[in-house]
Amino acid sequence: MTFWIITAVLTASASLAVMYPFLRRNDSTAEGEYDLAVYKDQLAELDRDVKRGLISTEDAAEARAEIGRRIIRMNAAASAEGGKSGAAPVVRIVAAFGILAVPVISWGLYSYLGSPGVPAMPLAERLQNDPAGSSIAELIGRAETHLASNPEDLKGWETLGPVYMRLGRYQDAARAYRQIIALGGANANTYSVLGEALVGMADGVVTAEAVASFEKTLSMDPKEPRAQFFVGLARAQEGKMDEARALWTNMLADLPENSPWREVAGQALAQRGEGTASEPANAEGQASDDQQQMIEEMVARLDARLKESPDDPEGWQRLVRSYIVLERKEDARAALERGIKALGEGSPSANDLSTFAQELGITLPEEKE
Amino acid sequence: MAVELGHFALVLALALSIVQATVPLVGARVKSYQLMRVGETVAIAGFLLILVSFTTLVHGYIVSDFSILNVWENSHSAKPMLFKITGTWGNHEGSMLLWVMILAFFAAMVAVFGRNLPPSLRANVIAVQGMVAVAFLLFILFTSNPFTRIIPAPIEGKDLNPLLQDIGLAIHPPLLYLGYVGFSISFSFAVAALIEGRIDAAWARWVRPWTLLAWAFLTGGIAMGSYWAYYELGWGGFWFWDPVENASFLPWLAGTALLHSAIVMEKRSALKIWTVLLAILTFSLSLMGTFLVRSGVLTSVHAFATDPARGVFILIILLLFIGGSLALFGLRASSLTSGGLFHPISREGALVLNNLILSTCTATVLIGTLYPLLIEALTGEKISVGAPFFNLTFIPLVVPLLLAVPFGPLLAWKRGDLLGAAQRLQFAFGAVLVVMIGTYFFSDKTSTAAALGLGLGFWLIFGALTDIAFKAGVGKNSLSVVFSRLKGLPLSVFGTAFAHAGIGLTVIGLVSVTTLQIERIVLMKPNDVVEAGGYTLKFSGVTPFKGPNFTEDQARFDLTGPDGRRLGEIAAAKRLYPARGMPTTEAGIRTFGLSQLYVSIGEATPNGLVVHAWWKPRVTLIWIGALVMMFGGGLSLCDRRLRVGAPTRRKTAVEAEA
Repeated sequence: MTFWIITAVLTASASLAVMYPFLRRNDSTAEGEYDLAVYKDQLAELDRDVKRGLISTEDAAEARAEIGRRIIRMNAAASAEGGKSGAAPVVRIVAAFGILAVPVISWGLYSYLGSPGVPAMPLAERLQNDPAGSSIAELIGRAETHLASNPEDLKGWETLGPVYMRLGRYQDAARAYRQIIALGGANANTYSVLGEALVGMADGVVTAEAVASFEKTLSMDPKEPRAQFFVGLARAQEGKMDEARALWTNMLADLPENSPWREVAGQALAQRGEGTASEPANAEGQASDDQQQMIEEMVARLDARLKESPDDPEGWQRLVRSYIVLERKEDARAALERGIKALGEGSPSANDLSTFAQELGITLPEEKE
Repeated sequence: MAVELGHFALVLALALSIVQATVPLVGARVKSYQLMRVGETVAIAGFLLILVSFTTLVHGYIVSDFSILNVWENSHSAKPMLFKITGTWGNHEGSMLLWVMILAFFAAMVAVFGRNLPPSLRANVIAVQGMVAVAFLLFILFTSNPFTRIIPAPIEGKDLNPLLQDIGLAIHPPLLYLGYVGFSISFSFAVAALIEGRIDAAWARWVRPWTLLAWAFLTGGIAMGSYWAYYELGWGGFWFWDPVENASFLPWLAGTALLHSAIVMEKRSALKIWTVLLAILTFSLSLMGTFLVRSGVLTSVHAFATDPARGVFILIILLLFIGGSLALFGLRASSLTSGGLFHPISREGALVLNNLILSTCTATVLIGTLYPLLIEALTGEKISVGAPFFNLTFIPLVVPLLLAVPFGPLLAWKRGDLLGAAQRLQFAFGAVLVVMIGTYFFSDKTSTAAALGLGLGFWLIFGALTDIAFKAGVGKNSLSVVFSRLKGLPLSVFGTAFAHAGIGLTVIGLVSVTTLQIERIVLMKPNDVVEAGGYTLKFSGVTPFKGPNFTEDQARFDLTGPDGRRLGEIAAAKRLYPARGMPTTEAGIRTFGLSQLYVSIGEATPNGLVVHAWWKPRVTLIWIGALVMMFGGGLSLCDRRLRVGAPTRRKTAVEAEA
């Protein structure tokens, strides 16, 4: 409400600025007098210049005559013009236009451009607000600001990590869990969730780094279900279906009745055409096809997304890696080429991409000149 | 609420500018004093509103209100307070707001101080100023709105470009804009005169002080930008003939020409048409500079974000104003009467020569700047026109001008005596010969260019002194008479002398650095030693350092003077701003008198650290000269003669009573 009162006052004052000349007495000086004063001043200056020897006496006389002629010309022009003043109706119409234009234009345009309901949000105030009323983003921001200046706060990272995971901010989650590990607060679960975050970052591909993390978990707790499941998935993605199935089946046997992982492992086995590991031979081909299909769909989606928003260095790395996982070397090379083009040849992120691809064994043919 | 009030104030300012651009114009046409007066109150109110708007934005930066898109994109809560404030104009949107605020400020100045202008001229000037404001306010509100909000607001900003986190940002853009935009007044005066179809005598009186003001600011702004680039970029260079630099140099050249032609017009009512054209061209070049820098045609630290919509919008503004004013010029110029007569050899003639050369210089730089862009647009081929082109074309043009400068002020008005002027300059010439021979034999026998160049610099300085000495009657009068005559000289005479001597100082600085500087590039390990200009640097090692929003590796050097005295330490650094992941180089600079020792570090290699050290003799004179020019401009501006103008009202009132 206060906002509207202040805007109204501002608008009124602005309109008043337009009206002001009409509220004053109309005093006017004839145009000619302004020029005459300048000419008089020029004559005086000419005298000073003569005294200082900046102009010769004859030349000064000539200049004086020039100025005199200008004064005569000016007088003639002034008397020709006469003393007519503005036609009243035109003045009134224009004045009305001016006064009306101010509120109409300002309010009309502001209602189109502005966000009148949005309050100012100084950072200090936001950080002092009662956390109960804050959005998740604000709470996270608050925690991030705190952790930026206190990176040794283990408790803080332990709180933030799962939140990132739930929001799908895998990169931030990985950072948080690495920090927990660096601060010495890691347990089997930490490595396992870090692994999952890395899988999330790779759009579901269980990378070597993730596998290493899961294996670390299993070295601490051989029965940890998440790690078991993902190691199995890793085998499956490598095409080693036997091993995958064996792992999952073992896992199912070990899991307690009420574990949520039972369902996950069961589904993984079912999706690959088999409920048990008893008939591996005839299921091999089909299961592999299904899995292949799933991965290919995922990669196609990623590919499509990168076509729309190509400014995504990580996305390109993921795409190149995915094609390599699928053993489609040509596509990987094409993706690399497109990625480099999209990121701008020679840009740091494009260079990162080609180094990344090189590590995976993909290089671009030398530029043909 | 405060943020939205700022936004509303800006919209309201647009509404007022629309009134300002139209109502006084009609008023001048139908001769209604009241309608004409509307322009004045509205111009003042409009300026106040934009000031409110700008203050709001600055406040948003100070309190890190990241619900403002512009603040989020360019600020960071950990940034030092000074850079939070200067960050307001360290980005496209904020800097355009500053631009338009200065524009409104100048319109308000005309409204406040223009009482002695004929009403119709004043009304037209304010209206034209209003038109420019309308165009740029529309541009800001529709393509570069600094008050766009983001909901929900992020909790941390993306930080300002580290290169801009410097005290230079507090000084360089505001000064430069005061210069750029200051020329809008001369432009408005020119267009107003064309609209009326006549040039009042007061017109000539007014254009010069405004041009002088804008010119002084622009001089300072360019010099500051040059010094900033010199110490921040770590290349040891101060001028690169980069298109962005040229964009500011072009209006300066044209403005300098305008400044001089305005003298002739003010004194002799001659060169009117030419002055009008120059006023239009000068501001057009300012607009073109804004377009080149802001549209993303040129990529540099100034371009900020590039957005084709903005480029097209500015291009339209550009075509409208430059095309419109030139068309008006073509239509009306013939009706402007020409003024007083003069001989070719006279003060007027000298000023015409100045104008001829300066316009040619402007054209040269303009071609050098636009040609590569044109080629790229037409053929897609990237060519670069750099220092060699400008050195080959610009220097041969400007040297004759500089040689002629001391003659100008010594020539009489209307009909001058070249021989007499030359005789008066004989002492200056003698002194210059001594300097040249001295340089050649004592400083560096190999460098003829240094001797000639320094001679040119001193020629300008001695020439300026000769002018003062002649006008004070040195040699003809006793000391006390000379002193009283000196006191009686108008300030503008000293202004001229200071400005011309300032160019001399700059020339000395430029020549000294380009011909006599010593440059060393070496690989250094701790305890290695490098020598430049007699000073010895001993590398003592690299230490890490953490600033408020950056980390840096400082390379430290023990400094020993030519006499073996220890002079403490110099530190050069490589800095990293994590918020943007951007590294910068911080040069280590130590000033000795007018000269500087400049150290900058490169990559660390297994064989040591790459160290780049320069001895730059008299380098600071480049910028000191510009400051002296500014000071000269200021002196001229304070001259009583320029303020007298035509205050008639009080006089007529007295007469009426009598």
